[in-house]
Amino acid sequence: MKTLAIFTILVLVFGTVSTSLVSDAYAQNDPNILLQIAEQADKQIKNQLDRSFGDSVPSDIENLYDQGHKAVESLEESLPDDVKQAREDFLTAMKLFQKISRMTSTYTTEAKVTASDASDRDLKSELNRLDKYFQNLKSISEKQNTGIELYKIQKLFALANEQIDSGDNQEAAKTIEEIKSLIVSIKKHIRDYSSNSASDRVKKFALKQLERIQNILDKANPKIPELEEANSLVKQIETLISEDKISDAKKKFGELNKIIKIIKKSIR
Amino acid sequence: MNPEIVPIHRKESLGEDGMLFVRTEGIVDTMVKIPLLVASMIIVAAIMPIQSSFSSPRTLDLIIYPDGSTHVSTEIDVDPLTTDYELDLFGSTIDNLVAVGENDFLLDTDVLGDSALIETFGSSVIFVEYDIHDLVSKQGKVWTFSLNAPSDFTLLFPKNSVIVGMTGLPINMKIINDKNQLTLSSGDVEINYLFSTPDSTASINSISQPDYITYAIIGGVVATAVIGTIAITRSKQKNVKPIQNEQLDQTTQTETIDTETIFKLKPDIREDDKEIVKFISNNGGQALESELRKKFLQPRTTMWRAVKRLERNGIIEIEKKDLQNLVKIRKNMEEEE
Repeated sequence: MKTLAIFTILVLVFGTVSTSLVSDAYAQNDPNILLQIAEQADKQIKNQLDRSFGDSVPSDIENLYDQGHKAVESLEESLPDDVKQAREDFLTAMKLFQKISRMTSTYTTEAKVTASDASDRDLKSELNRLDKYFQNLKSISEKQNTGIELYKIQKLFALANEQIDSGDNQEAAKTIEEIKSLIVSIKKHIRDYSSNSASDRVKKFALKQLERIQNILDKANPKIPELEEANSLVKQIETLISEDKISDAKKKFGELNKIIKIIKKSIR
Repeated sequence: MNPEIVPIHRKESLGEDGMLFVRTEGIVDTMVKIPLLVASMIIVAAIMPIQSSFSSPRTLDLIIYPDGSTHVSTEIDVDPLTTDYELDLFGSTIDNLVAVGENDFLLDTDVLGDSALIETFGSSVIFVEYDIHDLVSKQGKVWTFSLNAPSDFTLLFPKNSVIVGMTGLPINMKIINDKNQLTLSSGDVEINYLFSTPDSTASINSISQPDYITYAIIGGVVATAVIGTIAITRSKQKNVKPIQNEQLDQTTQTETIDTETIFKLKPDIREDDKEIVKFISNNGGQALESELRKKFLQPRTTMWRAVKRLERNGIIEIEKKDLQNLVKIRKNMEEEE
């Protein structure tokens, strides 16, 4: 009995600890992907150097490239048997190539900019992002049978694509702005619709929550100043729910939650 | 003044018969406590994954657009007893945020700086998607993606982009619609990539545009000839057998690629690899890997690497035959090129 109990404890301890260990563990499906990435990077860097400097590659960059290329060769030699060495070679090669690409950038260029700073607008990317956003909303709209008319916006997407393809960027930018404002109104429509149809769900949840909150309030010290306000908010929420004023009830819930946090601390 | 230190286990001497008497109350106590201990451990073990699962993404997928903005989609377990959930965003320049609860309800969101307050109202799982412009920066021609990821994630790169530097090891890589998708571990990740220009793409893949047209014309002429022959033969109601043979001959002709064509299509391959291709070609287009080892007197790993290299270049394909690797020259190489 005792042995069994100790064994069970050990298994449980291991099970508990192992969850944290597993997340740190590293599993790679196929070490060959390291070689694929490194070889591709090697070729790209070589092309880049040829294009940027021709035959007069600066010696510091050339040295780094040689080291990187050797690391790729060593990576190829290490596979399939020595995966540990292959990983080291991969990291060495990629760090060297990273360094080279940074150095070639400083030789040739300007300041670092984030995507949000980039002044030249990529309309195609912007349109693709909007399309993804619209597809999300469309899917929600269809699942909830909102009946929102989407024909106009779909037509605008097609028009913007045509305008971009034909190089008419000015008109395309206008169409994209039109799409954006239509998406905003579609989202508002869906939100209004779902808040109405979801009222039962929210009501159910709110009543369950109020019951839970009431239990907390019952245990609280009656001298706490926030208690009176909390009780009053509970009553207000109950009234709002009974009157189907769900969005007002939600707001009051936010206020109540803040007070409950304070009361909970005082109970501890 | 200096009492002798006596080890506890020596304080009570054993009886004359050498029997060891042990107090039993302690054991009884322990035996009573053990089930309690086990029960509490079970509770702890059961609760721990639940606790760690709340607010940690179940899935996290990122797509980088050509302009450097990134689309994030994530699925998160949340506490169904709370009214809202505060999501840490990966930056503050956010667009197109959509949060959906269970049963596809659009959830109300409020973005404040780099976090979003989502009204979950009893949902236990939420799906969030948004676009962010803070994850990728550009210096010269080099684009840099950096993220401190809360969990393992997938990252889809734009078309024609080539990774030229990274600080970590990828878990996996896939090609989706000609785009590289990496699976990466949680934690700090920094990846540099470049867009390959048409020149470099051509040098990487050894593709020349006119070849497509030439092959398409040849293919078209062959197809027309075959269809024409069949039509004429049918109209004359002759025996179809010789035509079938003719067709077979034609297909074998088109299917078998001579080594010169291969080397034209793939000018980058190494000289020693060319020898292997020539041998396979002379051997009827296929050979066992063991045969190649014997022919070229190469150790197993060296030959394996050479064969893998040729497979990666799309020149050969490897099949298993009686637990051995059968190496075959690919028949549809030209079509793919």
